[in-house]
Amino acid sequence: MKQMVGTCEALVENTLALDGTISSSDFYKAACAFVHRWNLINSDFPSWSWIPCQKLRWISSDDKAEGYLSLEKICLQRPQENEQEKGECFEEIDTAGNNNESLDEATLVPFPSDHQEVHYYDFQILHCASYSVPVLYFRAYSCDGQPLTFEEMKKDLPSQSEDALLNSKWTFITQEEHPYLNRIWFKLHPCGTREWMKLLLLSDASWFKNAIAIERYVASWLSVVGQVVGLRIPMEMLKDGGGIQF
Amino acid sequence: MASMESSNSSKKVVVLLRSIGDAPILKQNKFKMPGTDKFIKVIDYIRRSIQRDTLFVFVNSAFSPGPDETVIDLYNNFGIDGKLVVNYACSMAWG
Repeated sequence: MKQMVGTCEALVENTLALDGTISSSDFYKAACAFVHRWNLINSDFPSWSWIPCQKLRWISSDDKAEGYLSLEKICLQRPQENEQEKGECFEEIDTAGNNNESLDEATLVPFPSDHQEVHYYDFQILHCASYSVPVLYFRAYSCDGQPLTFEEMKKDLPSQSEDALLNSKWTFITQEEHPYLNRIWFKLHPCGTREWMKLLLLSDASWFKNAIAIERYVASWLSVVGQVVGLRIPMEMLKDGGGIQF
Repeated sequence: MASMESSNSSKKVVVLLRSIGDAPILKQNKFKMPGTDKFIKVIDYIRRSIQRDTLFVFVNSAFSPGPDETVIDLYNNFGIDGKLVVNYACSMAWG
């Protein structure tokens, strides 16, 4: 396994570092590829767009393109979850070679019909210079435009995120000043990102073939990060050959 | 690519669990489950089997499926050689 990784490393030198990070200029390329593919596949869904920004004065960088990805006014309706019931179904998983036909599919939890109040979310993906990974900023507001407090937003989070918030209060979601907009936004901390992006990159041999890594980086990243806030990414975004070739 | 017959949602899906990094290898790492099941069942199964709460689960194409995705959808999109290969690692950390 280690040897295989070693050879792959040489192949992708021109694309991405295998440590899970992405440079600022590669992030711009990845973001553009992501926007292009997103709009191609999800034409009925609100569009992600690239917002160019003036260079931050205190960061010296020779990147041509500086800015961030933005997705605005996403309506997140939270189904009331019943995790307890879901969790108890695991015994039904059948073993291979043991054709137990007595599986009771009727115990599947029905999709909840009750919904909580509708909230809107703006999401932005920035490049974090200190960790060299993307970082998610978001804000939430109710129908009348009133911003949600941290406590109100917290209730919208999927249950696994609420748990994470309890366990790592200061390193998960915090409120911080948006680097470009100079307002307080929610921020999902990027300090663990490199580690799990590395796992993702190493797990898939097809990534090593060509520049596909940069093309898919943002979508892969968002498949993980989106779950934290309940933002789904269509599987078509990550299928081989399902989109446009660059 | 999955075969045509697999698109039937009533079909059972063969799931193969593959440990990554220092995650414990499961004795029973291959099983069949109804395609209509949600992915959360797979996650819960791994979590209970290895008794770790911090779990990072992903399929090929560098994609971490949401808990509400159905297993048959994942299989139809990412199944290889008649199976859905699910990788798991213990090192998911936010901070």
